[in-house]
Parts: sequence; structure tokens; C-alpha cells
Amino acid sequence: MTDTVPAAVRRGPRSVVVGGMGVLSAFGRGVGPLLGAALEGRAAFGPVGRFEVAGRRVDRAAAHPGRPLLETELDRAIGAACTAAGLSGARRADCPLYLAVHGDPALARAAPERRAGHSVGAFAAAVARRAGLSGGGRAYTSGCTASADAVADAASAVARGRVERVVVAAGYLVDADQFAVFDAGGALARDGRVRPFSAGRTGLLLGDGVAAVVVEAADAARARGAGPLAVLAGWGRAGDAYHVCRPRPDGAGLARAIGAALHRGGVGPERVGYVNAHGAGTVLGDRAEAAALLRAFGPAGARVPVSSTKSVHGQALEAGALLELVVTVAALRVGRLPVNAGLLGPDPDCPLNLVRGPAAPGPPPGGYALSLSTAFGGANTALLVGVA
Amino acid sequence: MSLGELAAAAGLRVLAAGRWPESAADTEVPALPGFMASSFSPLAAEAARRCLDAQPSGPGAGPPVTAVVVASALGDLAGAVRVARAVDGGERLGPLLFFQAVPNAVAGHLAARRNLTGPVVCVGDARSGVEVAEALLADGDAGLALLVLVEQSAVPGGTDRAAAVLLAPGAAR
Repeated sequence: MTDTVPAAVRRGPRSVVVGGMGVLSAFGRGVGPLLGAALEGRAAFGPVGRFEVAGRRVDRAAAHPGRPLLETELDRAIGAACTAAGLSGARRADCPLYLAVHGDPALARAAPERRAGHSVGAFAAAVARRAGLSGGGRAYTSGCTASADAVADAASAVARGRVERVVVAAGYLVDADQFAVFDAGGALARDGRVRPFSAGRTGLLLGDGVAAVVVEAADAARARGAGPLAVLAGWGRAGDAYHVCRPRPDGAGLARAIGAALHRGGVGPERVGYVNAHGAGTVLGDRAEAAALLRAFGPAGARVPVSSTKSVHGQALEAGALLELVVTVAALRVGRLPVNAGLLGPDPDCPLNLVRGPAAPGPPPGGYALSLSTAFGGANTALLVGVA
Repeated sequence: MSLGELAAAAGLRVLAAGRWPESAADTEVPALPGFMASSFSPLAAEAARRCLDAQPSGPGAGPPVTAVVVASALGDLAGAVRVARAVDGGERLGPLLFFQAVPNAVAGHLAARRNLTGPVVCVGDARSGVEVAEALLADGDAGLALLVLVEQSAVPGGTDRAAAVLLAPGAAR
């Protein structure tokens, strides 16, 4: 497993763009507050008030105030994305929804005879119905790569001419059950901060994320007079074949995912001006990701600016990849780089060009940005976006 | 429709198949070391093992890149219910429940055991699983796709089931 580009990787001929975006994060609703925090490196972590955390080892997360409901916030985000993309009701009607969620939040506490009605597919179908998206629904549940899978499959279907556009949405709101299992697994940062690629990092923290984007054929967007936000130039996925939950130390799986995304985009590493890394803030994960970047990029891997926006908005699990794609597209559009917040000092095992402060210059004109995600089971994804 | 019928309708070839239970002799799904408190991952692993062991041996040129796609409507229901009860009852959770919380975990187990280096994707139903597998094969992300469908019984006392197929691009593609 030494090559970084699977020989057979190909794509359909149509160019794919990202249309409107809608988002909720710990910073509030809308892209603006999220982007502002990412560019300033202003983290949202604080004590969890949404549920009882007494007895847990860690009591921090990046949560939106109050108790937002997943269904309501998904409806809002999808509505915002469709409105921003200028999609009429008629155009929404034949548009499928690809939805990344952990599951129906009501399933685990439903009476046994009612559980069958709380399948993740039924949950996705209900979201699609409320949004007026009657072109079918599909649910993705692959943990932290789920929403990248949804974007990649949407891009593939659009590029192949299977469909004009897909609404991709994802949602995770910090909840007692996931918080408990992450806490029990010792995965949460003991010092209450996410410090990707930093010396002294102690783990991840969960964060709210609900996001929606319109993935559309460039010619279809042009034909209806819509201005795209970014080109979805490439996408790649590969597995580690290594462990149930640990990353492959040499980063070979993630490197192949990166290679596939660059290959599909026809883009060399030197044209990538920014990488929004998975960067969970875990010791092993960050080290493996640094190895993957150096493996996939060659000498350019030590030069390309890298940050993990999880350092400000936390880990939104199934919604994380889409939340980070939204940040990446927004940063690309303003030509500035999100900060890798929480740095205490360099880790020699992560020799990357980290974005250390808000004064950093932006990606070069015409440049591309990569957004990376990894998940349990050795799942790796890479999404490549360029200026529209 | 069965996984095989869905795959055929999508223009894919089924190279091998396996399921649990297969006969009256399948009363207890074999335990999977490292996984606890739920049949979800053991079911997936056993159906996949039977499928991959039934695969006709190739000419020996090394295994093609194989994707792992896991489809499940309710996911690890037993695990989710156990976590919810522990949280509501103020009990402590064991650390092993951490990585079991997503269906990728057993996909990673399969991938590591069988050197399956393709994408790992989890979806909510069999038809989506076949569609995702078809796209991964058509786009060259993988040469083969192992699709595993896992459904735990929604009600206590029901039968948990899993089925797996190894898929290849159709000959006419």
C-alpha cells in the first residue's frame, strides 16, 4: 500500500459545484458567526448545561445555548441552503436528500413496539418531506465520515449525470448518550480544549453542528442563473484495513483518499492552498494524519497551510465533515485561513505548517482547499474545493 | 427484495453471499472478541465471514481493493438502548461501548482481518447500500464491494438477522 492514487479512480464528466449553504454551530445560526470564529481562532468550549455531566471525567463541549432540536435545526439549515441557492419549490421537488445523522434521536428511548418507526431512513424521509424534497432520501451513518460520504456520493451522482442536484444535510447536537460513551472511552480532552497537532493535546471535545449544502451540476446552476459558491473539484475515499478504532500509523489510507480527490480534480498538491484537517486533537489520530499529508503531498506537505477548525467548533460527529466543508468554502471565498486554535507548542510527530494566528495570508487566487475526515473503522475521506 | 435481487437490478454481479441465521442450527451468533453487550457487530462479522469464505478463489493476483458498506435501519439498537438506560439510570459505562457506537467499528474489524482497503461507508437501508456500492465500483474507488445488511429485532425475543454479498461490476458495464 505505497501508492497514493488508486489506478482506477475516475469520475463522470459533469463539473460539480456547491450552491447555497445553511449552518448552525455553537456560534449561532448562519455561516458568518462560524467563519468569524474560525478566522479569529476563537473557541466555543464551555461547561455543558444541556444535560447532567456530574460524574463524567470531562464537562466541556461546544454547544449552542439552550436545547435546540435536531429536526427543527435540520429544517432551518436545509431551508437556508435552498433559499441561498435560489432553488424554487418546483426544483426542490425532484431533488433527493442525502442526510448524515447518528440515527433518530428518539429511537433508543422509544417503546419496543414503536422502534421500527424510528429507523434512520424514516427520519431522513420525514426531513425530506418537510423540506419539500421529494426526490428520495438516503441516510448516512458512518460516524465522523458520514457527511463526507454523502457529499462524495452526491458529487459522483451529479458528475455522472444521474441527477441534477442533491441537497446534502447533516446534524449532530451534543447529547447525553454520545457524551457518556466518549467520556467512558477516555476520548474527551481533559483540559477542556481541543489542541489539534499540538504538543500536550489530550483529546477531542464534542460540538454542535447542523449543516446543509446544495451540490449541483455546474451547467444546471448556470442554466438557472445561480452563482455557485465553490467548485467541488474532487472527492476521495479509502480504508485503513488496520483496526476497529485506531488509525493506521503511516497514514496510507488517508493518503490514498487525498490522492483520489486530487486525481479527480486534476489538481497537483502544489495548487492546494489550505487543508482543513480532521485534526480531532487525539494523540494517535493527529500523528497519523500528519503522516498521511506528508505521504500524499510529498515535499509540499510540509508547506501547505493546515488547521483543524475542530479547535473552535468541536467534533460534530456525523455532521463534522459537512460543517467543516462549509467553513472551508467560506474561508476560500474570503481568501483567509482558519486558525488552528489551542496550540501549546510544536509536536515533532506533526511537522505541518499550522495556521497559528489570524494574520495568516489566504490561499492564492485560483487555489484549492482540502477538507479531510476520518472515522472509526479506518474510514478516510477527502473533499477538494476550488474558487468558483 | 433480497440483497442479491437489489444488486442484480443495479447491474452488479454477486460473487458470493452469506447470512445469519442460515439454518435451524444457527441459534446463537458467535461472539466477537472486543465487542460486548449487543449482537450487532457479531452478526455483521459472521454474515461477512460466511460470504467471504464462499468466494471462489481467484487467479492469485492479490485481492482487489474492496469497499465495505454496512446497511442497517436501526443501527446497533441493543447497544443504543443499553447506553440510554445507563445514562438515564446514572450508571457508569464501560469503555468498550465507546467505539461500538458507530457501525464503522465492525467494518474496520472486517477490513483489518481481510485486508479490505476500499472505502468504508454506512447507510440506513439495503437499497442505499447497493446504490453506494454501485457508485464506488463505477468510479473505480473499489474493484469489489462487500455489502453487509444487519437488522436486530426491534422487539425483545425476535430474531436478529444479517446478510452479506460480495459485489463486482456487471459484465456488460
